[in-house]
Amino acid sequence: MFFIKMADMVIEIHHRYNYVKWLCKDYIVPDGTTPDLSVRVSREDIEAEIKASQTEVSAGYAEGICLYRAICKQLPMRFQSYLMHCAVIEYEGKGYAFAAKSGTGKSTHIFLWQKRFGDKVHIVNGDKPILRFLEDGRLYAYGTPWCGKEGFNENTSVPLHAICFIERSPINTIHSIKADEAVMRIFHQLLSPEDIQTVDALFPLLDRTLREIPCYVLGCNISEEAAEVAYYGMNPSIE
Amino acid sequence: MKIKNGFVVREIAGECVVVALGEVSKIFNGIIKLNDTAKIIWNMLSEGSDRESVIEAILQSYEVERETVERDVDCFIETLKGANILE
Repeated sequence: MFFIKMADMVIEIHHRYNYVKWLCKDYIVPDGTTPDLSVRVSREDIEAEIKASQTEVSAGYAEGICLYRAICKQLPMRFQSYLMHCAVIEYEGKGYAFAAKSGTGKSTHIFLWQKRFGDKVHIVNGDKPILRFLEDGRLYAYGTPWCGKEGFNENTSVPLHAICFIERSPINTIHSIKADEAVMRIFHQLLSPEDIQTVDALFPLLDRTLREIPCYVLGCNISEEAAEVAYYGMNPSIE
Repeated sequence: MKIKNGFVVREIAGECVVVALGEVSKIFNGIIKLNDTAKIIWNMLSEGSDRESVIEAILQSYEVERETVERDVDCFIETLKGANILE
């Protein structure tokens, strides 16, 4: 068993395999810290995850996935937060979340930001950040140990400035979208709610998100200009 | 004609959406957005109304020709059938 602090929550993790403790190494806090949440998964859960996996995965890896899912299922009800499948970067104190179908080019696009804007662009979470409303009323995106195969994460948080849905396109263009389109697009990047309690906890968080955070669709190629178009498109007050 | 149990209707940022929970989530894994007309149709089918009652309800709410309403309602019902949403 070990303890981590992630997304401003202390979590007690009961583990069977060492992999997940290694994965969480940058988030570990001393044993005995009072936890906000405690999780463990069964052998059956792990076996089901191995079976369901598209690629061959070890039991330790599968346990890690199951534990994160178990944590994230409790987020809406208890912590005003939820998991979103997207890549989050921080630049100039602002968080930008990039969402797309796997393989579209989220990682490529955030590398372009680093190329164009330099090393002040930080990758907060390359794959599965936790988003959380804090008491100041703002939505924060967090680094977590579960951040994609490249392992891009920082144990930090950033207030979310915009959500950007990426699509491949020969030319770089960006436009803002309203809630009617955003709600459909964002839903595909979330853990599907399994019960009414989760629906009643999650949907108000999505409502707040879509009312407070501007959403955009970016059509882009792999030139540095893509990062420029994205940046200036999401910061209309900057010339 | 009835929509299967397990579909939940909610509003997010002014948009009416439907998700599937429980058993039906095994066959429907997504989200449906309902505009105002679709909301009427959905709510009535949730209660097991028949096609004719649905058409009547829309004709009462909107000034549209019957032919158009019939076509739209049938199209909506076909979509629901195709997605395995109706009993």
